[in-house]
Amino acid sequence: MAAIQLFVNGRRRTTETEPATPLLWVLREEFGLTAAKYGCGIAQCGACTVHLDGEAVRSCVTPLSRAAGRQVTTLEGLSAGGRLHPLQQAWLAEQVPQCGYCQAGQIMSAAVLLAKRPHPTDAEIDDVMAGNLCRCGTYARIRRAIHRAANGGKP
Amino acid sequence: MRRSVPPPEGSAWTRRSLLKVGALAGGGLVLGASIPGAIPGALPGALAAGGPADTALNAWVRISASDQVTIVVAQAEMGQGISTTLPAVLAEELGADWSRVKLESADWDPAYRNPRTGHQFTGNSESISSFFEVMRAMGASAREMLIAAAAAQWKVAPETCRAEAGRILHPESKRSLRFGDVASAAAKLKPPDKPPLKPPAEWRLLGKPLPRVDAPAKVDGTAVFGLDVTVPGMVYAAVKMCPVFGGKLRKHDAAAVKSRPGVLAVVPLEEGVAVVAKGYWQARKAVDALPVELDEGPNANVAQDGLLQIYRDALKDPSSWVVTRPGKPEGTTLPAALSAEYQSQFLAHATMEPVNCTARVDATGCDVWAPTQGQELAQRTVTKLLGLPNEKVRIHRTLLGGGFGRRLIPDFIAQAVTIAKQVGRPVKVIWSREDDIQHDFYRPAVVHQLSAALDRSGQLAHVAHKLVSPSILQFVAPPKVSATFDPSCLEGLYETHYAIPSWKVESKLIKVPVPTSVLRTTGYGPNIFALESFIDELAHHQRRDPMDYRLALLRDHARAHKVLSTVAERSGWAQRPPAGRFRGVAYCNAYGSFLAHVVELSVSASGAVKIHRVVAAIDPGFVLDPEITVSAIEGGTAWGLSCAMTSEITFARGRPEQTNFHDYAVLRMPQMPPVEVHLINSGVLPLGGTGEIGPVTVIPALTNAIFAATGKRLRSLPLSRHGLTLA
Repeated sequence: MAAIQLFVNGRRRTTETEPATPLLWVLREEFGLTAAKYGCGIAQCGACTVHLDGEAVRSCVTPLSRAAGRQVTTLEGLSAGGRLHPLQQAWLAEQVPQCGYCQAGQIMSAAVLLAKRPHPTDAEIDDVMAGNLCRCGTYARIRRAIHRAANGGKP
Repeated sequence: MRRSVPPPEGSAWTRRSLLKVGALAGGGLVLGASIPGAIPGALPGALAAGGPADTALNAWVRISASDQVTIVVAQAEMGQGISTTLPAVLAEELGADWSRVKLESADWDPAYRNPRTGHQFTGNSESISSFFEVMRAMGASAREMLIAAAAAQWKVAPETCRAEAGRILHPESKRSLRFGDVASAAAKLKPPDKPPLKPPAEWRLLGKPLPRVDAPAKVDGTAVFGLDVTVPGMVYAAVKMCPVFGGKLRKHDAAAVKSRPGVLAVVPLEEGVAVVAKGYWQARKAVDALPVELDEGPNANVAQDGLLQIYRDALKDPSSWVVTRPGKPEGTTLPAALSAEYQSQFLAHATMEPVNCTARVDATGCDVWAPTQGQELAQRTVTKLLGLPNEKVRIHRTLLGGGFGRRLIPDFIAQAVTIAKQVGRPVKVIWSREDDIQHDFYRPAVVHQLSAALDRSGQLAHVAHKLVSPSILQFVAPPKVSATFDPSCLEGLYETHYAIPSWKVESKLIKVPVPTSVLRTTGYGPNIFALESFIDELAHHQRRDPMDYRLALLRDHARAHKVLSTVAERSGWAQRPPAGRFRGVAYCNAYGSFLAHVVELSVSASGAVKIHRVVAAIDPGFVLDPEITVSAIEGGTAWGLSCAMTSEITFARGRPEQTNFHDYAVLRMPQMPPVEVHLINSGVLPLGGTGEIGPVTVIPALTNAIFAATGKRLRSLPLSRHGLTLA
């Protein structure tokens, strides 16, 4: 089987895993990047959200082959230079996580939103974040944290 | 049998066993800091892991020579914030410097049993109510020992010393010693019998919001849930179980998948079959492709109508009713002025983290890494399964990606251990979301019949309440359940404070061919939905304002009256809502706390319900952490809205019809209303729980508001059945 090369959090990675394997399992089991979670396997919950060339994708339904030669970013790669991403800081300031299982996916979805719409409205937040489930019901805090990050860390 | 678990042993908890230092010093406890389940990140400023040189003052707290305080977390963290609040209770009494506190996740040990139940578990919303006094006593005891050691060194009276921010102070002589200076001398002293407790007015950590200790790891991705455990040499398993409850897999053709890439073994199980492979996806694809022959067993034709017929038949049958409240004889003879029937649906837990478990069975015994709420049940299940003594079975609890009661039951742990033993190497078993929803232990549907009689002057004289439910506690606390009675099925009907002159409550336990168990709100959810709907119906029947009606019925109970009058005031109940908007209210006393919700909404002609505002007030006795309590009620409100509007498990052909989040619908962000939570400190002990109660009252407050808006009384859930959607 031909090796597939991809770039994960800025680092070149090579794998011989079967190309139809969902990216999620390759990230978790081969590269040890476990922030992205398995939640549903059918792109219904968003817990597995990562970035593929800057776009949010559900890695549970994204075949490894689709990531060939492209840039993949996971939550582990979101912060830069040892500083938390503004969204991560806002997530702490608003004390968002309860069980925390969905939060990696939530933050990754929010990061793409902010990259495209630096000052989103509530409606724009709801629209983008509707694909990320949270069973603990932290939605109101997520919304506040996104606004806070957009607002330079101020509430 | 996957679905039978051994009952917890009712071993007595003694204060003595907790205070005994020997248990720790003798190495009898498993307190490994290196286990994957240890809470990572812990606290800002925490030092490197403490070593064996640390001095144990009791089973819950150790102090190092360099002043690091290590506090044991024995309750499962599943988002309820317990790993922040309980250690803070101990640290408060100890007089510790919170920035020098490190937490350690404990495995099973008799020292960490719940003092009320005699076994170690996390559930029933009772971690605070059961452990608050324990943690205070442990902190106070350790503090007094440290003070005694310092006083002896200074040759002063202990009463003239105090503990503060990690030091023992002697104000008269302006001397001080660090905890680390006196810890080893303190450990040699006898623990005091009755250490004095700090009055709440002197609390520095409690009553104020503390940042959650587990939040940083959950935000940077380093938090270790069950799914994230890595063990050297680990392989993966996916399972296929008979989809019909009580059925079996008669045959499978292992040869058909053995040559697939990565496949290492096909393991027959009593409940089905597992494929073990190098990678999870390889195991998943292989198990999906595995040809099997089913023996669907006696329940193959079970369908929703037939299931509900069991309830109907039970309601008609006059035998086997168990009376919890007798009512007054003269009340039961009055004619009913109002009667109604309510129905709550079957629900699945659908925790965000699907069921999973990692196990290793080798010459040293068995290690399990699992997101479990049922530490003791897991321990007992595995020791029994493998015929091993307790010291050879180590259940390492990870963080839980939600629990909601599902993870009390060790079925999945027994399964992983069975597979690991068979293949002789560490195995991580991951259920698909479909497995998770289709092989759950469901919140049972419950049917209620209520009727009320009025006296000659038209005042409420008698309420008769009958309910039919399958067992809730059968798998998690079997000794509490008899053939005819399960105490959890009556929750909310014991402790209500409405001044109803005569009130009869009867229940009947039925058997249904689907597994039923605890789920966030247990009996309170269905029971309070029925009761608070009926109280609302009575208010309207008697042409009274539903808030005033309740306040009048609660006039003799100060705490209940206060939560209700608080939501009345904060929601502006006395003022008319904006045009087109309507309000509903509900109240309960559940898990030792008092809660009321007001929901303000509008309903469109097409049945779209828009919730504009939710106002809640809670009195748990004393709010130990305001931020965590508020988030529990916000989140509980969201959970309740899912239950009220869309979530439902129905059965056909002996199995659930729902499989994943596309058909088991839960609340999404656009539907989340603004929720205001008001906190009340009545100061009454014992403290109540706040983790489970949130959904209880929002459901009837919602349906009561819909009645106000539309004149339609919706008596069965979810509301999607009635054509309503949540905008």
